[in-house]
Amino acid sequence: MIRISILPLLDVQKVIQLIKKDFVVDWRQQNPIAGILLYLASTIFTSYMAFKGFLSLEVWNALFWIILLFTAITAISKSFIQEERRSLYYFFLMRPRDLINSKLIYSFIYLLAIAFLSLIIFTVLFGNPIRNYQLFILNLILGCLGLSSAFTMISAISFKTSNRSVMMAVLGFPIIIPVLLLSIGNSSQILDGYIWSQIQGNMLTLISVDVIIIALTFVLFPFIWRS
Amino acid sequence: MCVALLIYTVIAGLLLPVPKLPILNETIRVLHFHVPMWFGMILVFTGSVVYAIKYLKSNDSTQDIYSSQLANMGIAFGVLGIVTGMVWAKYTWGEAWSNDPKQNASAISLLIYLAYFVLRNSIKDEQQRNKISAVYNIFAFFLMIPLLFILPRMADSLHPGNGGNPGFNAYDLDSNLRMVFYTAVLGWTLLGYWIASINIRLSVGQQKIAD
Repeated sequence: MIRISILPLLDVQKVIQLIKKDFVVDWRQQNPIAGILLYLASTIFTSYMAFKGFLSLEVWNALFWIILLFTAITAISKSFIQEERRSLYYFFLMRPRDLINSKLIYSFIYLLAIAFLSLIIFTVLFGNPIRNYQLFILNLILGCLGLSSAFTMISAISFKTSNRSVMMAVLGFPIIIPVLLLSIGNSSQILDGYIWSQIQGNMLTLISVDVIIIALTFVLFPFIWRS
Repeated sequence: MCVALLIYTVIAGLLLPVPKLPILNETIRVLHFHVPMWFGMILVFTGSVVYAIKYLKSNDSTQDIYSSQLANMGIAFGVLGIVTGMVWAKYTWGEAWSNDPKQNASAISLLIYLAYFVLRNSIKDEQQRNKISAVYNIFAFFLMIPLLFILPRMADSLHPGNGGNPGFNAYDLDSNLRMVFYTAVLGWTLLGYWIASINIRLSVGQQKIAD
């Protein structure tokens, strides 16, 4: 029996509490965040050593997104795994919808912070070819939204399996290809100097893919959680 | 019924006259064997998702057997489709794999459903396995559909029916192709459902014995 009551979709207070709790946990533990930051920095530095001298605009763009993809899958895979000890409390205290809301928002903020940090490191090492900042950042935000919500759902699925880190990649990569293709394509066109009216079709498609991912996550997550 | 349709497809598909065209020549006959595979795959995967939704609604493990066996059949169709497509592409495009968006899309859909089976094998508890794999099935299917529409927009395809290349309607002057083609689609899809239904009956029986 599927019960989807439309209202209230968002219990704001509980969601804010849960997000706050995630922040506090990450702030106190510190080494997961430090690990991710170091992961990001050393990946970018390694590719800087490897790509030195022949970095065209397209390669800059592809490299940026690929590194973001790998950092995202590493960073977000922990979002349910670290909850193992607490999941029993959640099961009794929270509705699954509040939990997934808070996880989606938290991992979106987390990934966005990673993306901007990675942009800064890229600027320092590789230089910065961006001219149209508004469009580039809009596309970056939409791409991060897709990546973070798809990986949050996949992380909830792989939380239940026996070999989590492998499942995360196996399940996640084929799923994320539409978001990745659209955002890489858009951002390469933006770097080439395209304006809004030339890429709005692809931007709208990206938005609708994001909406599909988030809607599916809302509907399907309670089934995973109850099992 | 299904066997009769397939016998007709094979004989007519290989022997009936086809339009003579440059480059394509006799390879146009692949239409009766390659295209129905994709029709079959999409139909079977759709069936699999419908049963996955039914499973989540009812928690009845028979629905899960339907869903997973149909996905199994879909993979078989997909592999056959990709192989026949590559053979055809070798003779008409010059290479078996040319990074064409259609080829990439088909490879990705195969990856998604192979991941589905890896997921099924990595969960021990049966009820949990059924539930999680049903969720992944639905999630993946609804993301695969936009992919099939997005990819061709991002790059030009050589595939017939895309990017200004004529589909088979343009070649089909005397409706000969069409006659065989529709029979072929029906025949191959029925064959798929038949094999899947045998597998389903087998698994249902095994489950009854186990219980």
